[in-house]
Amino acid sequence: MNPAEQAGLRERIAQAQSGNADAWGELYRLHAPAIFRFCRRAMPTREDAEDATMDIFIKVRQKLSQYDVNRPFSAWLYTVAANHCWDLLRRRKVRQDLETGEVENMPLEHPDPGQLEQLIEKHTSQQVRRALDHLPARSRMALVLRYYSEMSYDEIAGTLGVRRTFVGVVLLRARHQLREILEGRGAANAAAGGPA
Amino acid sequence: MIHFDEMACLLYLEGQLEDSRARELAAHVAECAPCRYLLHALERESKLLSGALTEEDEAIPARLLGVQTQGWPSWVWSLAFAAFAAASYWVWNDGIGPWLDQLNNAGFGGTNLMSMMLFSGAFWEGWGDLVDILQIVALLAVVILALGLVRRRLRRPAAVALVLPALLIALALPPQAGAAEVRRGRAVLVPAGETIHNDLIATGPSVRIDGTVEGDLIVFTRELTVTGHVTGDVIAFAGQALIDGTVDGNARVFSQHATLQGSIGKNVTAFANSITVTPMGNVGGGMLAFAGEADLEGKIRRDLMGRIGRSDLDGLIGGQVWIRGLTLDVASTAEIDGPATFQGNQQPSVAAGAKLASPIRTEITQEVGRSRRSETRKVIHEIIGYGAALLAGILLLTVFPGFYRSTLRETGAIGLPLGVGALAFISGIFVFVLGVLLLFIGVTAGVAGALLYAPILYLAQVFVGAWLGNKILGVTSTQTGAVIGRMALGLLILHVARLIPVLGGLTWLVVLLWGTGAVLMGFYRMSRVENVPLPA
Repeated sequence: MNPAEQAGLRERIAQAQSGNADAWGELYRLHAPAIFRFCRRAMPTREDAEDATMDIFIKVRQKLSQYDVNRPFSAWLYTVAANHCWDLLRRRKVRQDLETGEVENMPLEHPDPGQLEQLIEKHTSQQVRRALDHLPARSRMALVLRYYSEMSYDEIAGTLGVRRTFVGVVLLRARHQLREILEGRGAANAAAGGPA
Repeated sequence: MIHFDEMACLLYLEGQLEDSRARELAAHVAECAPCRYLLHALERESKLLSGALTEEDEAIPARLLGVQTQGWPSWVWSLAFAAFAAASYWVWNDGIGPWLDQLNNAGFGGTNLMSMMLFSGAFWEGWGDLVDILQIVALLAVVILALGLVRRRLRRPAAVALVLPALLIALALPPQAGAAEVRRGRAVLVPAGETIHNDLIATGPSVRIDGTVEGDLIVFTRELTVTGHVTGDVIAFAGQALIDGTVDGNARVFSQHATLQGSIGKNVTAFANSITVTPMGNVGGGMLAFAGEADLEGKIRRDLMGRIGRSDLDGLIGGQVWIRGLTLDVASTAEIDGPATFQGNQQPSVAAGAKLASPIRTEITQEVGRSRRSETRKVIHEIIGYGAALLAGILLLTVFPGFYRSTLRETGAIGLPLGVGALAFISGIFVFVLGVLLLFIGVTAGVAGALLYAPILYLAQVFVGAWLGNKILGVTSTQTGAVIGRMALGLLILHVARLIPVLGGLTWLVVLLWGTGAVLMGFYRMSRVENVPLPA
């Protein structure tokens, strides 16, 4: 975003904070697609993503006065979105899936770089997205926060409620699970845990 | 050579490794081919992940494009409640208040009104059946709509769901006259010799029809006397009603005391504290009566059905008789040409000379037994109601999943749908009163509106139940079975709660207002869905 665009965005935010509905509409129109896509990646179904997007923007509108203008707006939006989605998923997870601490204690197989390269060569973006749907909630969320929202490890730790030093483990674990699903080895695991 | 592990490589790539360790790893990678390959593979994997996640593979749904610009900001709450308060005041001041005055004028005020409403308990008992009928009608409406809409795969089911039944009902009911003659005054009189070539609506303390009305007569008065001729129906809300003339159509009488002395061509429906058909009275069709007392000395050519406290039969009943009440006395002058059934807590008294086609079949209802039975009946009624509501909910979820989700989401807002529901209820009553009593838009539209409201009212419980289930078991949306399970649990709680006296009633009042508000908001949301491309 160039300086002029940034200035325009700041102005719209200020107008929206003072209650200007048009400015809010403009902000919404600009950012809703990205937030929807974020939710689409983080949540198990399209319907969940739609509902979550609406709820997130309702929250954002209510909290707009608390937004610190020195912080990038989209980063703030992603934080609200991530917290909302993770909160939803966590509430469901309590009763639903089998992913808990035991997964973290499983040893990670050291990858053969050649095989990993082959795996990457063989699979398209669409296949990766489909495989992501089968990941447990936290693994998927971690990947989305890092590789879609480009959040820092600190932000990811804050959102997922884990220690900062543990974020790398979560991400690496998620990559391993994804590789297993792409190789077809993770199908049984995914079926057992179900889409969280 | 000691290699770096995958974790260290990933942290290095992500810029998360301490400086000294990062330098160490960089130096190592320059020398070590396997670690270099691993680093390269991880980097490619990161790119693949970023690419897969950020790729714009599907359009943003239309409902997300329009709603936020006109969302529900906090001031809408205040506005909704302010509107509700204003509407309530207005309805009371300009609607209910004057009508109550008119009711008082008509002799329905205070205890009279209560006595007329309760009819020694008979009227209230009838409500159970009415509610059953409404439930069945509502369920049928949902099923028919669902089948029709699935078949046609219409794009806007919600809007069609609203309009279609209204059209059907409007078509099914006979059309009303576009305009009716309205007469108001302290004493409305249609003198003998005068003919009104139209429907007549008459209001005032006293209404007397000595002349001819070529159409329907609709009356709201304290004292009604008809000695003339009405070619259509008579619909009367009157303290005292005397029909001494000729009515070619039906007589629908809501009255404290109704006396039929003349001739009614078709059927009589009477809600009255007491009803009398004098020896001169002649009803061409049958009679349906909800009354505290009935003294039937005249001729009823077809069936007589009623919930009547005390019945005296002195005249002719051309068809069957079915009466539920306290006592039945059949005089020696009486003649019943069809089978007769009486349900009461004592044997009917039949005079020696009475002509009966067959002995009166009597079912004695003991008070204690009745009370127990009524408790059992209540529970059975709840079970049936629960099953029907669950079925309606499952149908809705299967056929209109989008509408279901959208409405359930609105239900979660609690306060706003409650406000909207209350507002709709007040407006509904007002429109109904306007439609039916003032006939600004006709009886058909009024009844259609009321019947349209019934399915919405019925579905209210489904969404509140589903919301409750979600609150208890947690939200889910991936498995239909789980969604239905939550709905079933919530509905079960609501139906069990209904069995609690007073509290159950109050709970259901809230449930109905809350749910109808949510359904209406769900309709609103659905009506805004359109397929539009992703904005640039």
